Amino acid sequence: MMNRYEMIYIIDTGLEDSARKELVEKVSALIANNGGEIEKVDETWGKRRLAYAIDYKTEGWYVLVTFKAPADLPRELERNLQINENVLRYLVVKLEEKRSAVKPRANRPAPVAAPVEEEAAPAVEEAPVAVEEAAAPAEEAEAPAAEEAAPADAE
Amino acid sequence: MSEDRGERRPRPRGGRRPRRKVCNFCVDKIEYIDYKDINRLRRFTNERGKILPRRMSGNCAKHQRQLSEAIKRARAIALMPYTVE
Repeated sequence: MMNRYEMIYIIDTGLEDSARKELVEKVSALIANNGGEIEKVDETWGKRRLAYAIDYKTEGWYVLVTFKAPADLPRELERNLQINENVLRYLVVKLEEKRSAVKPRANRPAPVAAPVEEEAAPAVEEAPVAVEEAAAPAEEAEAPAAEEAAPADAE
Repeated sequence: MSEDRGERRPRPRGGRRPRRKVCNFCVDKIEYIDYKDINRLRRFTNERGKILPRRMSGNCAKHQRQLSEAIKRARAIALMPYTVE
């Protein structure tokens, strides 16, 4: 039984590039050697400011991995990441089928394009709102009318 | 009895009835709230980093549950703060 998982882990930025690559390789190998199947290793976030300091560090190197694996692999994976002191944090999440894939961007993800759909349901929902708002403009309509009348008198 | 349910709630005269908020995620047709999408999540926390209650965000129950889960995950991997002083 294979599940799809997504894992994020944060590597200490104090680690040199070569050592970091080695660590990423090691983690990937760990997945592959335990019956897992790596789909993607994503480092587009890379070095990123942490929202709060972890061990007095304010930056971390984010690695996002998606993989298929049997259900007992995440436990083994987490055990290994826990031991490694260059890994500041990790999070393994099981992916549901219906999820939308938002890819990590350097800073801001592209706005999710609003699906253009014109069904009956939204129109019905909006109808009561329109009725509510109709009352307000009606009141406001009197005010401009009064203003128009005033200049007319002046002339 | 059930017919006049709608009119039962007294409407304060001259008062402004709070507009019924619509769930942001339902409008955008989002099925899964991604914990990595911090720009979206951040809109549902206050300046101290606390998760806004449903009465302020206007989210439906289903999406509010997903949202709080997503924000908590984002906090766990330092994408979002637990608190802002």
